[in-house]
Amino acid sequence: MSVETADPPMAPPDVDRGPGLSGYFMVRIAFCVAVAALCLLPFLMVIAISFGEKVEGAGWHFAFDLTNYRRFFVGADWPNSTSTLYLQKLGWSIYYAVIASVIAVVSAFPFTYFLTRLTRKAQTLWLVFLLSSLSLSEVFIVMGWDILLSARSGLPMVFQETGLTQWLKDMGWFDTLRDWGLASPRNVKFKTSVFATVLTMSYLVWPYAVILLYPALSRLDPSLIEAARTMGARPWTVIRTVVIPSVKLALIGTVLLLFVFLLGTYVAVTVFAAPAQQTLAVSIYEAVRGATLNAPFGSAQAVVLLVTAVILLVIGQKLSTAGGKG
Amino acid sequence: MRRLHWAASLFMGLAAVVVLMPIVVVSAAALNGGRSMAFPPENPTFDRFVEFFVSEPVWTTALWNSIVISVSAAALSVLIAWPVAYWLWRANDGLSKVLAGLAAMPFALPPIVFGVGLGFLWSFTGALGQMWAGVLSLAALFAALPLVTISIGLQSIDKALLEAAATMGATEGVSFRTIVLPQTIPYTMSGFFFALVLSFNEFIVMFFVSSSSYATVTLQIFNSLRNGFTPTMAVAAITFITVSVVAFSLVARFGDLPRLMGADTTRR
Amino acid sequence: MPDLVLSDIRKDFGAFRAVDRVDLTFAHGELTALLGPSGCGKTTLLRMIAGLEEPSGGTIRLGETDLTGTPPHARKFGMVFQNFALFPHLNVADNVCYALTIAGTPTARARARAGELLDLVQLADFGQRRIGELSGGQRQRVAIARALAQEPEVFLLDEPMSALDAKLREEMQVELRLLQQRLKITTIVVTHDQREAMTMADRIVVMSQGRCEQVGSPQEIYHRPANGFVASFIGRANFMSGRVRNGAVQVAGWTLQAVPAPAFIDGSQVTLALRPEKARLGADLPVGNRLPATVTFLRDVGATRDIHLDTPAGPMVVEEVTDRGTGLHVGAQTQVYLPPDALHLFPAEPVAA
Repeated sequence: MSVETADPPMAPPDVDRGPGLSGYFMVRIAFCVAVAALCLLPFLMVIAISFGEKVEGAGWHFAFDLTNYRRFFVGADWPNSTSTLYLQKLGWSIYYAVIASVIAVVSAFPFTYFLTRLTRKAQTLWLVFLLSSLSLSEVFIVMGWDILLSARSGLPMVFQETGLTQWLKDMGWFDTLRDWGLASPRNVKFKTSVFATVLTMSYLVWPYAVILLYPALSRLDPSLIEAARTMGARPWTVIRTVVIPSVKLALIGTVLLLFVFLLGTYVAVTVFAAPAQQTLAVSIYEAVRGATLNAPFGSAQAVVLLVTAVILLVIGQKLSTAGGKG
Repeated sequence: MRRLHWAASLFMGLAAVVVLMPIVVVSAAALNGGRSMAFPPENPTFDRFVEFFVSEPVWTTALWNSIVISVSAAALSVLIAWPVAYWLWRANDGLSKVLAGLAAMPFALPPIVFGVGLGFLWSFTGALGQMWAGVLSLAALFAALPLVTISIGLQSIDKALLEAAATMGATEGVSFRTIVLPQTIPYTMSGFFFALVLSFNEFIVMFFVSSSSYATVTLQIFNSLRNGFTPTMAVAAITFITVSVVAFSLVARFGDLPRLMGADTTRR
Repeated sequence: MPDLVLSDIRKDFGAFRAVDRVDLTFAHGELTALLGPSGCGKTTLLRMIAGLEEPSGGTIRLGETDLTGTPPHARKFGMVFQNFALFPHLNVADNVCYALTIAGTPTARARARAGELLDLVQLADFGQRRIGELSGGQRQRVAIARALAQEPEVFLLDEPMSALDAKLREEMQVELRLLQQRLKITTIVVTHDQREAMTMADRIVVMSQGRCEQVGSPQEIYHRPANGFVASFIGRANFMSGRVRNGAVQVAGWTLQAVPAPAFIDGSQVTLALRPEKARLGADLPVGNRLPATVTFLRDVGATRDIHLDTPAGPMVVEEVTDRGTGLHVGAQTQVYLPPDALHLFPAEPVAA
């Protein structure tokens, strides 16, 4: 791929459709091949290498071997013993992603609804704000929440200083928090916990949720709402009977997209999740470039993650086309 | 419906506070005098800014790499997206849809999988650790963004304009240059800025394709994750937030941001 | 200058035949209106002339030159589009000299030409305006000036008045006709509005379901419609069905004479058409060709009054000039006279709505 390949449509196909056409056609084919190589080949290589075999050290070679998948689903030592370690990691990936994407969509939905009722200018300002926070790298967001949730500064300190911790103790709720792993004997404690992981993950995708819900809600015909109001519906009834049904597909689609996005979260999980509760993304990283160095097995895990993502994207696509027809 | 209920305004305000909270905390942490990320900052100083922008080669090199890679990747992603979007718009046939699907795929799937795959691809071709391979990788990852904005721009062109140009003697090439291109410049620029900001912030794909031979700012932070965050990294965060705000303000200034985000154009 | 000749032109969209074997000659310097209801194929025909659609069969020739396969940019027929299709990113003058600019005409010459054309359409001072700042009528003038800038051999207009309000539309029709007569340019206008066609055209082509129903001057088309469709689509008409018997027509038991005498075989089913303003009511009517009638509804529309009647041949509308009114009221019994030379006879066939 080079800069020239971007030119073909700009270069006019000659009027006389002479020999110029075949040249144009060749450039077009070359462009397609280049795009396919760059966008598709990496995924195909991951799939191919997942059937490969690890050799001593960090090396591996191509093979057609199902060992890596066997290890993933039933453990390396099967049939002598069964291990579901990696299935559990997949489970954690899905668990975090489902909860975080649902929380993000549920809280982003009313926000987006209100946003679309604002003037165009106010909407533009909000969008600049949201896009800026959306594009902010995961490392910075994790950095911010790390400070906020760490025991020495941030929220636990605020709890201590404002007497909230004492109040929780007085009310007897502190012990409940300890049962949930959200408190040490002396104060509340958020790291490491499922709570912190899910919180950061839903924060990560919250602006995405707003951006994804925005088109559907802003295209919602206001006369529908006005019509419902003239028929005596209270605001909440309007939302329940008119707004939510008409954007139902957008809501489901958004949850699915955020879910796929969150499947690959890495930094938030390594920082906030307990070692036993880490995800497939972390394990892929360890296998490909980290401590364990087993590229074929890392690829097999990546393929499982990929398949999970593709299944959900296909479901989302099916739902949206079915909705389009109906 | 123009005036929101006070509870709605309160909800939006609260959401803004939560979104801002970690950003404010990180920004404040940059002022720390020591090496630790305390909040509120201890011994406030601007030394960390000097370190990041001037005195620490690790950070200045990383910042320069970030700029070079993200600008090139954004430009390249626009160059990949243009023909795909144009072809999809003109022909809308099976092949052009497949091509658009391919170009959008890396963005839609978990980036860690794409990163692992790119790592294999570049090590096979011997380009692993080359900066241009990093640029190509990010361009492929984010081509979906200019593809979407340019497609929105192309759809906003009335096809009668092209027919009118044809009846006045314009060939496809001439009408592309005189009608299509001028009208889609704001959308192309928006796509460029989206790809720019996201490439600037990307690290997981960069991690797999850089093979530790060079580092961008976010990658540098990612690599030193195990040693904990330092206030110099918080300076990086401030820099990145500023770049994002400026880039998206430019998009909003020169393009119709609500429309780009899919708002109904008939309402104001 | 040569004529534009269409021979056996067809256009199929899948199984649907939009234009069906059309043969037409557009004489040099004439304004022809393609008139018909929506979906009759008139716009498709115009687009084939412009080169924007490729005919499925037949040829398009300009004099000796075969243009059938020529792309639109090589034909360079000026065209005014329904929504004008002005380029929003260019100002008025740049829109007008677009054809010249892309052809490589020196800027000064192109500018001067744009100035002349804007003068011609009475927008001399508007050159630097943006398209968004213009009203509908001004946009239309710019679109006309732009299409004329390249001095096209054929000037095409697709429903040019449909985006204008009713009052402006009438003014622009007259103005466009005067301009066309001044420039003596072969012009083809697509319209679904018969008043518009009548106002502007030398010749009208009435189309229906992809076919030409009749070609003729506005007067011919109105006074001698070739068939029931034309009679109903152009102006208003009362329709009756009858049967030919001994050189006259039997309608609901009454015998009506028609001039010229019907050239149909005895006993064939025919449709009779009669313009509302040709029928007469009241006393001292000529002998014969009369039907008894009951007034069912009166409708005053200013200068004229419509009288709705119930007759043995079915419901009928008669238009009379208000100040020569017969003073009829709803429920009155009267006689309606159908002048023999105003009765048009067609073979019985379905009639357009």
